[in-house]
Amino acid sequence: MATITRPVPPKNEPRRPNIASASVQLPAVRDYEQVDREIVGTLHPTVAWFIGLGIAVFFLLIGIGTWMYQIYSGLGVAGYNPPVMWGVYIITFVFWIGIGHAGTLISAILYLFRAGFRTTIYRCAEAMTVFAVMTAALFPILHLGRPWKFFWLIPYPNWRYIWPQFKSPLVWDVFAILTYFTISSTFLFIGLIPDVAVLRDRENISPIRKRIFSVLSLGWRNTDNEWRHFARAYLFLAALSTPLVLSVHSVVSFDFAMALTPGWHTTIFPPYFVAGAIFSGMGMVFTIIIPLRKWWGLKHYVTINHLDAAAKLCLFTSLIVGCAYMTEWFVAWFSGNEVEQSFFANRIWGQWWWASAILYTCNMVLPLSLFSQRLRRSPTWLFLLSFTVNIGMWFERFVIVVPSLSHEFEPWQWTSYRPTWVDYGILCGSFGWFAMWFMLFIKQLPVIAISEVKEIVPPKLRTAHPHGIDPAGRHFEYEADTPGEYA
Amino acid sequence: MQGVLGAFHELDAAVSAIEALKKDRLGAIRVFTPTPRHELEEAITAPPSSVRRFTLIGGLLGVTFGYWIAIWVSDYWPLVVGGKPIASWVPYTIFGFEVMVLIGGLSTVLGLLINSRVPRLTMMVGYDPRFSHGDYGVWVECPPDKVRTAETLLKEHGAVEVRRER
Repeated sequence: MATITRPVPPKNEPRRPNIASASVQLPAVRDYEQVDREIVGTLHPTVAWFIGLGIAVFFLLIGIGTWMYQIYSGLGVAGYNPPVMWGVYIITFVFWIGIGHAGTLISAILYLFRAGFRTTIYRCAEAMTVFAVMTAALFPILHLGRPWKFFWLIPYPNWRYIWPQFKSPLVWDVFAILTYFTISSTFLFIGLIPDVAVLRDRENISPIRKRIFSVLSLGWRNTDNEWRHFARAYLFLAALSTPLVLSVHSVVSFDFAMALTPGWHTTIFPPYFVAGAIFSGMGMVFTIIIPLRKWWGLKHYVTINHLDAAAKLCLFTSLIVGCAYMTEWFVAWFSGNEVEQSFFANRIWGQWWWASAILYTCNMVLPLSLFSQRLRRSPTWLFLLSFTVNIGMWFERFVIVVPSLSHEFEPWQWTSYRPTWVDYGILCGSFGWFAMWFMLFIKQLPVIAISEVKEIVPPKLRTAHPHGIDPAGRHFEYEADTPGEYA
Repeated sequence: MQGVLGAFHELDAAVSAIEALKKDRLGAIRVFTPTPRHELEEAITAPPSSVRRFTLIGGLLGVTFGYWIAIWVSDYWPLVVGGKPIASWVPYTIFGFEVMVLIGGLSTVLGLLINSRVPRLTMMVGYDPRFSHGDYGVWVECPPDKVRTAETLLKEHGAVEVRRER
C-alpha cells in the first residue's frame, strides 16, 4: 500500500530522468477516473485483436492436427533417435516452465522488495506465468504414446503395480509444478478481485457480463476490512511464492542433475536454471508488454523508466547465466573427468557447435548491450532483444538435453538428433495455445492492475499535499516533455 | 442495521470525517475506498489482520502432511534397494516444502475469505458503485436519535452526498 506519491522534483533541482524513484511515478496519470477509463478502455475488442486471436488459433490447430497424427502413427514420427529419447518436447516443456518464472518473480519477489516498477507490468507477467505453466503441462502428456493414460503419471498409490517412487526427481517435479500452478493461479485471481469489482460497477455494462463479474468479484465491496485482510493475504502469498519460484526450477533442474549423464550431473544446475528461467521470463515479458503499451496507448503507464528497470533485471540475470556457462566449462576442465571434457568439447566445437553458438550469442553477448542506458530505454531494441532471448533460452535447453544424450559414456552410443516436422508442428501449437489464452485474457480482464495503479496515483485532496500535489491531485511541477517518460 | 452514509471526493475530507465521528462515538464506522490507503487505516485504527494465523496453521499442517505422505507411501509400498533407507528424509523435504507452500497458500486465501466475509451474494447496506471507481464512502451505524448529528458532521467535513440507509 502506498501512502506517499513522490512528486517530480521542482524546477530548481537538476532533472534526472533515470532515477529509481522516478520509476514509481506515473506523472501523466492524474486521477482515479482516468485510470478506470483508460485501462477499462483496453477491453473493447478490435479488428487487430480478432486477427491476432485467429493467428493464435491457427497455430493451435496446427499443433492439434500434428498431435493427432502422432497419436495415430506412434511416437516414432517425433524424431527420437535412441539414446536421444528426450527431444523437442522436454526442451519446450522446460522452456515454458522457465517463461512462467518471471511472472511470480515480478509479482511476488519484487512486491516484497517494494520495487515500484512492477506495478504496471506484474498483471501481464502473472497471466503469462499461468498460461505458460498450462502450456508446459501439456508436454508430459504429448510425450506419451497413449495420452489417455495420462493419469498413470500422477504418483498416487494404486493397484496397477506402478508404485510411487518418492525418491524420483520426476515425482518431485509433479508436486512442484502442480503447487506452482495452483499458487500462481490463486495469486493472479486474488489480485484480480478488486479490479473485477471495478468492471462490475461500471455503467453501461451488459447484464450477463455484470452477473459474471459479480460472481468473479465474490461480492467485493472495497471496505476497509476487506482491504486490511487483502493486503495481509497478498503479502503472505507473496512470501510463500518467493521460495516457490526458486524451488520449482531447482526441482526441474534435478530432472537432469540427478542423472549421471555428462553435462547434467552437476550441482550448479539449480541456481543456473533459476536464473535462466527468470531471464527467459523477462524476455517474454518484453515481447508481450512492449507491443501492448504501444497498441493500447499505455505508454504513460508502462513508462520508459519501468522498461529500463526491468531491462536491468534482465541484464543481471543474463550475467548470472553467463557466469554459470563459464563455470560449467571450468568444472569440466578442472574435474579432470575425460568423459565430461569430451562431452564439452563436442558441445562447443563438435557436432553441436552451431546450437552452442546461438545460445552463447543470444544469452551472453547480446544482452550485454543493456549496459547502455540508451538501449535500455529503447523499446524497439528491447523488443528485438526479447526475441533473441527467447530463441537463446530455447536453445539453452536444446544444448542441455540433446548433446548430453547423444554423447554419453560409450562411444558406440554416440549419435545425432534431428527434429521432424511433427516436433516443429507441436512446438508451433504450444505457441498458439499460449497466445490464444493470452489474447482471450487481455480482452476480458484488465492487463494492468487498476487498484494498484491507483495506489501510486495521487488522491484528490481538499488541501495541498505536503509532497507537492495540488488539491485536484496534480503534481505541481510537471512537464510533459520530462525526458524518458514518453517514447 | 441502520445508519448514515457519506460520500467524499477527497481523501483528506474522508479522513477528517472519520476522526470526527470517532471523537463523537456515534457508532461503528466502515469505510469504502477504491484502493487501500494508510491515511484511512490510521484513522480507523483497526486491529491487525488474523489472516496470518491461517497461513501459519496451514503451513504447519502442509509440511507435516508432505513428510507424512511420502514416508507412509514408502513404508506401505516399499522399494527395497540395498544400503538405502526405505524412507529418506532428505528428498522428502521437497514434498514437505511444496505441500507447505500449497496448503499454506490456500489457507491464506481461506483466511482472506472468512475474515473479509466474502463471497457475498448481495451488496451490503451503504455500498455504492462509485466507491470502486474514485470516491470514498464513510458509513456510520447509529441509532435513530443520532442520525441527524451524524449527517451534520459528515456534511461539515465535505461529504458530497449524505444519505440514510437501513
